[in-house]
Amino acid sequence: MNPWLRGLIYAVVVTNVFLTITAWSIWFERKFSGRMQSRLGPTFYGPMGLLQPVVDGIKLIQKEFLIPINADRLLFVIAPPLTVVLALGTAAVVPFGADIIAADLDIGVLYLLALGSLTIIPVWMSGWSSNNKYAMLGAMRAVAQGVSYEIPLVLASLVPVILAGSMSLSDIVRFQIKHGWFAFWPPGPGFFAFLFFLPASLAEANRIPFDIPEAESELIAGVSTEYTGMGFGLLYLAEYLHTLVISAVASVLFFGGWDGPFAPGLHWMVLKTLGLFAGIFWVRWSLVRFRSDQLMSICWRYLVPGGLILVMSAGLWVHFHRGGG
Amino acid sequence: MFYFTDSLRSLAASLRNVFRRPTTVEFPDVRRPRPERFRASFALLHDEAGDELCVGCKACERICPSEIITVELVKKDSPVTGKKRAYASDFVLDSNACIYCELCVQVCPTDAIVMVKTAEEPKFNRQGLVLTMERLYENEKLRPLSWATATLLSDMQSPESKSATIEPKSATAVAESG
Amino acid sequence: MEMIPHVAKARRRANPYLDLGSYDPEADLMVLNLGPQHPSTHGVFRLKLYLDGEIIVKVVPFVGYLHRGVEKLCEKLTMVQLIPIFDKNDYVSPMMNEQSLVMAFEALLGIEVPRRARYVRTLLAELQRIASHLLWLGAFAMDLGGALGGGSTLFMYCFRERELILDVFEDLTGCRFHYNTHMIGGNRHDVPAGWATKVHAAINAIETRLPEYETFLITNDIYIERTRGVGVVDGQLSMDLGITGPVLRAGGVDHDLRRDAPYHCYDEIEVRVATATAGDCEARAAVRMAEIRESIRLVRELIDNIPEGPLGARKPIKTPLAEKATQGHAYAAVESPRGELGIYVIGGGDNKGASPYRLKIRAPSLHVLGCLPYILPGHSVSDAVAVLGSVDPIMGEVDR
Repeated sequence: MNPWLRGLIYAVVVTNVFLTITAWSIWFERKFSGRMQSRLGPTFYGPMGLLQPVVDGIKLIQKEFLIPINADRLLFVIAPPLTVVLALGTAAVVPFGADIIAADLDIGVLYLLALGSLTIIPVWMSGWSSNNKYAMLGAMRAVAQGVSYEIPLVLASLVPVILAGSMSLSDIVRFQIKHGWFAFWPPGPGFFAFLFFLPASLAEANRIPFDIPEAESELIAGVSTEYTGMGFGLLYLAEYLHTLVISAVASVLFFGGWDGPFAPGLHWMVLKTLGLFAGIFWVRWSLVRFRSDQLMSICWRYLVPGGLILVMSAGLWVHFHRGGG
Repeated sequence: MFYFTDSLRSLAASLRNVFRRPTTVEFPDVRRPRPERFRASFALLHDEAGDELCVGCKACERICPSEIITVELVKKDSPVTGKKRAYASDFVLDSNACIYCELCVQVCPTDAIVMVKTAEEPKFNRQGLVLTMERLYENEKLRPLSWATATLLSDMQSPESKSATIEPKSATAVAESG
Repeated sequence: MEMIPHVAKARRRANPYLDLGSYDPEADLMVLNLGPQHPSTHGVFRLKLYLDGEIIVKVVPFVGYLHRGVEKLCEKLTMVQLIPIFDKNDYVSPMMNEQSLVMAFEALLGIEVPRRARYVRTLLAELQRIASHLLWLGAFAMDLGGALGGGSTLFMYCFRERELILDVFEDLTGCRFHYNTHMIGGNRHDVPAGWATKVHAAINAIETRLPEYETFLITNDIYIERTRGVGVVDGQLSMDLGITGPVLRAGGVDHDLRRDAPYHCYDEIEVRVATATAGDCEARAAVRMAEIRESIRLVRELIDNIPEGPLGARKPIKTPLAEKATQGHAYAAVESPRGELGIYVIGGGDNKGASPYRLKIRAPSLHVLGCLPYILPGHSVSDAVAVLGSVDPIMGEVDR
């Protein structure tokens, strides 16, 4: 097939699927968090409140997009769509099935990490351009947190790369299909790499317990304080999108992607992604958050040395079990 | 540094609540049953013969801390007994500012004003929540009456009362019309 | 964690009267208003923070956004009419407000309250203490964890449990909140039949759920890190500023009005007072959790033995001029969940003495807010929010 046509079809499909799942994840979160808090979630629009995201979207679209008087107009306006674009861009290299992948890059993991680190910039742009002290505090915290947690994220993602011997995500999955999921085998480096990957990616996505950039009890809404209407909607959506992409990447890197005990295929990938996604929400609604200096100390004191040890142990494992390479 | 194990305990606690029944009551489709003494709005009563109990003495107007009651006195013949007695020609209670303290119920010498157990429906302007005499007499039939009347409260509080707990007998209540 | 140098300097300089002109000229201070509209200032309260990065250097609190002129209103309304108005001072624990007010009036008029009324008042005070502390716990969790996040889960649970107590109050008085169940000389509502069973059920339900709340917050390592060593109010500072209640007891001073200046029926029961020595947020929270447990124990002890007798010492209210006091003055204080809530009343006002001449409310939260300029410098913005949550100010009684 013409590679341009293939790319276009994949782009449209992946974008739409991801954005739809993200929109309904808002419904899922409200229902799930409601149940955890001994209340019902949305019940009014649609059966069981299923049309709530539609109604929320319409509400946000019809609100006025206010730009504060002394705000930096250009940065203020492009920051929300840029966040969404970068979050979606990372979905391009995630393999959903044996040949279902938008762009099978040889450097898949590197591309993922690069775009992941780029997502800090629109967050910082939105905070800085708002001309609001709360937003600026949130933006500074976001930059500090995002840049610091890059390192454990890279180190934790390196472990599957070393074990599989390739940076391409579909190669990593194929390796896991042959040799067992990295989260469980090899025991040690794989499991701990997952345990380090999860907090690091939660910190990248600004989720509780690492959500100080948007801590509502301290900074009203953090970086999105001054945003109204669809600007706020896009920032909100981008956070969920980033979380969804993280779950997809984690299930590819550590849980075997489309592999399953029987009938491997797209459905296993969907199941694992949504399972991890629900798990991240579960964590969000149960834990209180860290303070910013405690967050930094966790990163630099525990996750970075731990990550280095993990990478070394993964390398040693590969050396002794497969005679080098 | 036991973040992980402590977090697992919180996660378990919140997951346990997912499987319990939610405590939400979906008002207004489902309404909780209110106890006997619940105070939500007001009603003026008639006595057994059908005569209005209110004598327009303005005791409630004087006691109200928010000054929301306005009473006008008139003397006219009773339609039931034929004798001349005091009535309230106008009784207005502005429930916008009511603090539901029950003092007006307590001071009434004829047990005329009582509280009712269901609240007024929300209206679109403040005037809609000003209870006129007509609405107050309607509430007697429309809404379930609360237990407390002036006599019952006075009996409860009087220094001569013996101790035993006073049963809240339900007053002339109609079925809860919602 | 050892101190960063400028943090250590800010903490050494913790002086609420700090002259900023003399501060280190290299530091660039940013003024941030934890303004009257904020998700976690416990009401309308403005806290002006001078920040050096994220470290607070100076704190200026502004109060008065909720001033409603209650003390002026006392000069116009009569004593009988004032009782329902006073519910709205410390709007989270209305029983305490009413009780302190009627105690002041009874002291002014020289009325002896019958034993049954005093006993029921004790019971209601302890139940109200449980309800108020449950609300504090939920709000504290929200401050630490966020309205969208782990804090709000605990908030919902605490309110669910608090509803059980409010249902019990609803059975007794008819209102879930702002009851007007006290009158000068006694109580207005008597205990209905079957109330003891309901109270037992509510208390048992709360007691079984308390350990679950503690896994969310008190024994959680994230929470302990956030609150240990934060906002230390030691006993000496509390005594200098007139702070009472859990904040004082967390600093190590063993003082509780229920035991040291007993009122109602507190001289007949033993109140075990919880203290801590650290004085930080964790200690204050621990003191409050211990108080919840102690109140549960007291309610269990009290509920089954309500004595027989009349409920009031005066005839029931029939006119606003029922009680008149043309002279004299009195002070009465109760131990509210926030500290010593006192009312000082001078008799002989309008309406031939039926209104007080002057009534002064001694609100515990106002004194507690006075400690903020002393303890916040050197901490970060997140700590400011945690400290505000743990000292539990209620702006209704601060501003009156």
